Amino acid sequence: MKVRSLLSIAALGLASAAPAVAETMLNVVSAGDQNMVDYVNNYLGPKFEQMNPGVKVRAVGTGPGDSGSQKIYEKLEAQRKAGSATWDVDVAVVHQRGAATMVNEKLLMPYRNDIAAGKLVSRDTAKNALGANVDGYVLPMFHSQIAFAYNPDLVKAPPKSFSELAEWVKKNPKQFGYNGVKGGMSGVGFVMGWVEANSGMRDQLEKGPYDPNMKPTIDKSLAGLKDFNQYVVMTPGNAGTLDMLNRGEIAMGPVWVDMFYTWMADGKMNPKVKLELPAPGLPGQPMYYVIPAKAANAALAKKFIDFAESPEVQAQGIVKQFNWYPGIDPQYVQSKMEPAAWNKLFTDISPADLASKGRPFPLSDYFTDIVEGYERVVLK
Amino acid sequence: MVRSAGPPQGADCAPAGGSAAAKPQAWGDQITLADDAIVDAPPGGERRWAGVALVIPALVVVGLFFVLPLLLSAVGAFRSTDGAFTLAHFAKALDFYGRDLVFTVAIVVLSTLLIACVAIAIAGYLTLGENPRSVALLRWLYRWPLFIPFVVAGQIMRTFLAKNGMLNHVLIGTGLIDPLSAQSMLDWRGIVIAFVWKQAPFVTLLLAGAMASLERQHIEAARNLGAPRWRVLMDIVLPQARGTLLVGLVLSFVTMLSVLSVPLMINPNSPTMITVDVAYRISTFADYAVANALCLLSLLLAAFGAAFYLRHAVQRVEVKG
Repeated sequence: MKVRSLLSIAALGLASAAPAVAETMLNVVSAGDQNMVDYVNNYLGPKFEQMNPGVKVRAVGTGPGDSGSQKIYEKLEAQRKAGSATWDVDVAVVHQRGAATMVNEKLLMPYRNDIAAGKLVSRDTAKNALGANVDGYVLPMFHSQIAFAYNPDLVKAPPKSFSELAEWVKKNPKQFGYNGVKGGMSGVGFVMGWVEANSGMRDQLEKGPYDPNMKPTIDKSLAGLKDFNQYVVMTPGNAGTLDMLNRGEIAMGPVWVDMFYTWMADGKMNPKVKLELPAPGLPGQPMYYVIPAKAANAALAKKFIDFAESPEVQAQGIVKQFNWYPGIDPQYVQSKMEPAAWNKLFTDISPADLASKGRPFPLSDYFTDIVEGYERVVLK
Repeated sequence: MVRSAGPPQGADCAPAGGSAAAKPQAWGDQITLADDAIVDAPPGGERRWAGVALVIPALVVVGLFFVLPLLLSAVGAFRSTDGAFTLAHFAKALDFYGRDLVFTVAIVVLSTLLIACVAIAIAGYLTLGENPRSVALLRWLYRWPLFIPFVVAGQIMRTFLAKNGMLNHVLIGTGLIDPLSAQSMLDWRGIVIAFVWKQAPFVTLLLAGAMASLERQHIEAARNLGAPRWRVLMDIVLPQARGTLLVGLVLSFVTMLSVLSVPLMINPNSPTMITVDVAYRISTFADYAVANALCLLSLLLAAFGAAFYLRHAVQRVEVKG
């Protein structure tokens, strides 16, 4: 009896898995956390399928951090080396470093001027990824930002800048926590922010030119971080910082704003915890939609991205449901949302603060110098 | 292989050399050996090819997915970007991660020792315990961690060992420590606890099996002569099951050396285990060369375990033979 019912369930499963007639599969491969795959599978994909009968959107995740983008790069690179006529990735969602590498190695197709939504982007990151020119090849899916989260019950007056923070941790040892450079990007972002604040070379780090002889200056600012580290707690990962904040083990730490709001919305975060962007700023980054140079369904891919960048989808999906900052110019998005939902995103960090203190990550080469410097100077 | 062990064709016609007297004798030995082997070997060439054909899929899988990547990784560790031989990657690996290498060895050795203590205690009680109910309960309980993956163990420890985690809540609740002295164990201690928790049941399983198969008379004789149970365990049971214990510990040692999830979840910050550094080199820098060098260094550590294991396995075969 049991076996038979199991068999019939299996048969049903097989029947429903059989492909429908003449269905086109749009393969979306996304780097980043699981919420990005969820976004395509649960929100964007079903809507796009509804509008385009006969199209099926399939999203696959390659994992968080730059390594997720690295896997996509390696896959496309392998298909090019194998001489495949078409590649089986139609739309990829990648980080800045990944996009820069892929544009550089000619693995991507320029498409921004082919779609209507291409005119809605305004931020510099649509053209420039960590110093690499990606103009035309990318559209930001969203922007994400690192900020300090703090518990106002424990921290009455949060430090407003990195120099105030350095004083604050000495008076409140083991109350600030971050996740180093090996435990996720919120920790890496904090280190970048520290170097930008303490090396006096912010513009050069962000805009270039790259000068390998600046390493000693970078190392000098990292030496201060080594001293700073004696007064702080090391947390296990991006989520680890949020966990420890939530359990009251630390009072303050750098977090991704979108993760923070998502945890808050899911009831996983103490609702009292607030955000703050210290001067001179912390980095943030976009995720980019890109189309591989030999995507099998390039036309459909453009249509998909055009839809994903439309003000309605950006308002309802990106901002309201997933708590990211919009990828296109906010002015197009704000008018599509009720003020309460829009304001929620800017409760603690005002748009003006975001514009002045939301920094890009340093150029790729400086980025490498800083994290390697961190290993050499701070960890040894 | 076996067939070619016989004398070369036309050996009888070999021109008599200076050592002719010695040769026939040596060959004579070989002939005896070869004759035995031929009797055992299957008749006909096809049977042999059938045997080879049966082995080939396994060999191909091992060759393609294990040996080849290993060789590529070894080559990558010694090759600079322009293809020349270099030791720079090793220099960088040791310079940046030498401390983590020492940390890894320390963690794994300490965990292995603790696992040995836990496994001996549990297996000893299972073998010598006199209360059938508690033996049954322990037998049922101790295997649970075996079925829990490392990544889940890491996740459990992350909430269990945190400063305001369950362990400290229990300790504070029972009045054993006061709230201010509670501290997070999410550092090297967390990794060791996770490893011991996960691997001790595996070694216990092997060890308890070996202890159960010993002759009961030895134990009973010792008990009759008035030996307490701990002495029976240490002097009678354990020496006889020593080989199995060592094999279990070596396998655990090598397994723990390769775990990424536990250190990544509990303590990815410096100092950390070498696996985290390998993942970090690849994911942050796409730097396969230094990652390969680190992998080879950790292979070297595992090779100690493997050498030990092989020597012991060979010894056992010899003893049995």
